[in-house]
Order: sequence, then structure tokens, then C-alpha cells
Amino acid sequence: MPHYQAWEEFTRAAEKLYLADPMKVRVVLKYRHCDGNLCIKVTDDVACLLYRTDQAQDVKKIEKFHSQLMRLMVAKESRSAAMETD
Amino acid sequence: MVLLESEQFLTELTRLFQKCRTSGSVFITLKKYDGRTKPVPRKGHAESFEPADNKCLLRATDGKKKISTVAYSNLLRANMDGLKKKDKKSKNKKSKATQ
Repeated sequence: MPHYQAWEEFTRAAEKLYLADPMKVRVVLKYRHCDGNLCIKVTDDVACLLYRTDQAQDVKKIEKFHSQLMRLMVAKESRSAAMETD
Repeated sequence: MVLLESEQFLTELTRLFQKCRTSGSVFITLKKYDGRTKPVPRKGHAESFEPADNKCLLRATDGKKKISTVAYSNLLRANMDGLKKKDKKSKNKKSKATQ
């Protein structure tokens, strides 16, 4: 269960995992206000990628990425426009 | 597991976040959904079913209470906006700390 330290790496691996099998992959967000941290996990029940943070600046990145994945899921055709990595 | 409409889901999600401010976690799960309501048949290809491609399932829980909703492409914007505001508000404890 690899914990990623680099955001870029995490997003690349996560997108790759999702595109390999969109129906199998799920994204989990865990937020703890009392501890002040946010964790995002992308898994297809075989591989599992994790990224944790306690920095407010990462929240925006995570939220953007989450929306990106959501967009990929509801796109009718596989549009590469939805996959705009930042 | 309570299945809600998008708007209600957002309201309940806000409530979940507020409840867990002093202790506990909020889990949000996102998964692509093709609209099936019946389990996959074990034998024989009785797949008389048209997979829809424009939906996804959103679930949220605090460990005890569970809520969920089905998000369509046109409702996505609303969902994302709701989440964003909450995250910013909740994260005001941690300012942009230097590493």
C-alpha cells in the first residue's frame, strides 16, 4: 500500500489506475478535522495508492483532482479534455 | 445507507463535517456507476441491461451514519462547489504552514 510523498507521482499513478479499469476503481477521501489532516486513496482492490497531507495548500489540489476524477467518470465519451492535468 | 437527492446529500454532508469537528473522521467515497440495480447474474448471459456511462456514486460516512447519492454529469458542478466551500472553512485551522 504505497504512501506517496510526491503529489505529481500520486496523480499520475492514480489516473493510470483509473483508466486501466474505470468500473473497478474507487476513490476514498478521509478528513479528520480534530487531527487536521486529509488523506486520499485510489484503489481497484488490487493496488492501493495513498496520499496524506496536513497542509491547507494541498486541500485545493486534492479537491481539484477529486473533481477531475469525477468528471472522468461522468464523461459520456472518453474525452481527453477532461483529463487536463495541472 | 440512506440514498438521497443531490441537494439533500450536500446538506447532510455539511452536517457530517460539522459533527466531526471535535473528533472523528469523515469518509467520502467516489465510484463510477453504470446504473445497474440488479446483481450480476452468475450463470448465463442474462445481461439484458444497458450500461449508462454518465453517472457516479458518492457516499459519505462518519463511521456511524451513512449517506449516498447518484451524481449525474449535470449535477457535478453543484456537488463540487458544496465540497469546496466546506473544505476551505474546515481547514482554517491549518494556515499555509511552511514545511
